[in-house]
Amino acid sequence: MTLVNVRTDGVPLADGYRAIIGDGPMRALESLARSLRGHRIAMVNSTATGGGVAEILHRLVRLLNELGVPTTWEVMPGDARFYGITKTMHNALHGGPGVLTREDRDYYLEMNRRAAETLALDADLVLVHDPQPAALAGWRRRPGQRWVWRCHIDLSRANPDVLDFVVTGLAHYDAAVFSHVTFVPPLPTPGYLAPPSIDPLSEKNREMEEQEADALLEPLGLPRDTPLVTQVSRFDRLKDPLGVIEAFVLARRQEKAHLVLAGGGAEDDPEGETVLAEIRERAGTRKDISILALPPDAHGLINALQRRSAVVLQKSLREGFALTVSEALWKRRAVVASAVGGIPLQVIHERTGMLVRSIEGCAFQITRLLRDPPLRRKLGGEGREHVRDNFLHPREARDYLALFAHLVGRAA
Amino acid sequence: MEPSAAFELKAVVHLIRPWGAPARRLDELRDGIASGPVEVLFNHTVQYQLRHPGADELPPDDLSAWIAGVLQDRETAERLSYAVQTRSASASSVRAGLLEVLDALPPHRQASRDAPDEGAFLFLSATSVVVSTGIAVRDGHELAEALAGTDSSVWFYHLVQEPWFLEGRTPLLDWLATVGEHRLAERLRDAAGAGLPIERARARLLRYWRRSRIARHVADATASPEDVRREAGRHVIARFVRRVTRSDPSS
Repeated sequence: MTLVNVRTDGVPLADGYRAIIGDGPMRALESLARSLRGHRIAMVNSTATGGGVAEILHRLVRLLNELGVPTTWEVMPGDARFYGITKTMHNALHGGPGVLTREDRDYYLEMNRRAAETLALDADLVLVHDPQPAALAGWRRRPGQRWVWRCHIDLSRANPDVLDFVVTGLAHYDAAVFSHVTFVPPLPTPGYLAPPSIDPLSEKNREMEEQEADALLEPLGLPRDTPLVTQVSRFDRLKDPLGVIEAFVLARRQEKAHLVLAGGGAEDDPEGETVLAEIRERAGTRKDISILALPPDAHGLINALQRRSAVVLQKSLREGFALTVSEALWKRRAVVASAVGGIPLQVIHERTGMLVRSIEGCAFQITRLLRDPPLRRKLGGEGREHVRDNFLHPREARDYLALFAHLVGRAA
Repeated sequence: MEPSAAFELKAVVHLIRPWGAPARRLDELRDGIASGPVEVLFNHTVQYQLRHPGADELPPDDLSAWIAGVLQDRETAERLSYAVQTRSASASSVRAGLLEVLDALPPHRQASRDAPDEGAFLFLSATSVVVSTGIAVRDGHELAEALAGTDSSVWFYHLVQEPWFLEGRTPLLDWLATVGEHRLAERLRDAAGAGLPIERARARLLRYWRRSRIARHVADATASPEDVRREAGRHVIARFVRRVTRSDPSS
């Protein structure tokens, strides 16, 4: 089965989003959808469950259908060897080690050729997500169709050989879309930017009463009378968890607070386990630091934790886009984050949060915010509006529809 | 009103694309400003307003924000902000204003501060996708009410973007003049040019518009028969009571 059936029960998504972003922006989205009447869209990726892309597609496909643009979602089938090759590609495109042999490349292309024969890709507009199905266009593109490649990966430090292999196949596309300008490599087709987005209706971001948050957090035994400083991130050195502890220890000399480092990925990631051990060692026996290894489905708990926090950190050394920042801003939290990757798009210094470049800078801003609740409220309020305007799913849907309208010449 | 006098409102979405080489110093920024297409200037000195429609205060344009935040050259940033604020009527004017500021800097100053690689200024170009909203207004009243409820990009497109690309000509305000709404046209021009975030500018215009309608409502009401006026009064009181009881937390 390659066609994904998206859930359509409950309140229409369009109604839920309308209540959040307002009638005006939803009507603009509906106008764009109307301009594409008569066109069908097909989304293609390599998995229906797990991961951010599948999460977004479940919502996006449903929303586009509600807006009157018939949209289907096809999942490219694969086998263990194919997924092994695409995992190597993924790591190499992220800047990690990885070599694709001649046989790997041939097998990847062959799997794409076979999928091109079986997937229902006769739509007028085909949006292919990430590298796994990127070669489909070469085998399947028909006259009159428009094909767009959506890359969710940070390609800024990609292995040149693997990047060249992927990019060569993009000549069959009308456009490619990236999350951040630094991720765009030299391309044989026009490259556009569309930042990723969060879902304000999801378990991780929905509104939550204080009592419900308290009930979820109670088993963790966090202090009630001390402000929380929190970083929610994978246990990964690039998220600089040891730097977070150092900054917190400096801030703690000035103000009372409790640090929470919450993350996942330690169980199935050998490096994650090593990093988690390093964090535990650095935290030692301090009573004012809690380290939480969360399961991948702890969305409600993360929601509650972010809402309870006085300050949310994202002190990464390198980042893709860091949607955890938008998640915290959406909950009106004061954010202190590094000026790397897509973070400066979300955190406008002194307006929607504080950008820092050092451990001392981070400690300074944590202390400043702990001492100044009105400033926290001001930043949090501005941050929420900034996310409402720029980083919610309807905006991402709008960007895709606008690009399609542009490609098919349907703009007014 | 003649049906042909209706004005169709449009929304806009901008497709953003990278352009040119990154700038790490002021002289490189200057070269990008001098040679960039108008869509690049538009994105960095005009379109940023649409990214912050609901802000309390409009952040600085992209160029000034980079010079202040990354190069830490506040004086040049202030001068560029001023150039954007005062010369933003059109692409040619804003480009000339920006180049005047940057060319006036001594050469050593243009190259004295380097941004780190990850802090380079990345030029972006905005391609406009204009979309019909399906709303056609026939007079000032319909326009004011429509502007209150539509996406902020409708305001931006008609009152900021079109005049910028058309060297000051504003088709919406031209149309308002043809239907005799000169004062509303003037107010709209003022509100759009006040340097406020879109939502605040829009709220200011609506306050003016609704206040200006009070006199007309009163004049219309005095011409109505007594029972009609009494009924209208009852409606106003009922609405007021409903609002008060809804906002009372104890109810």
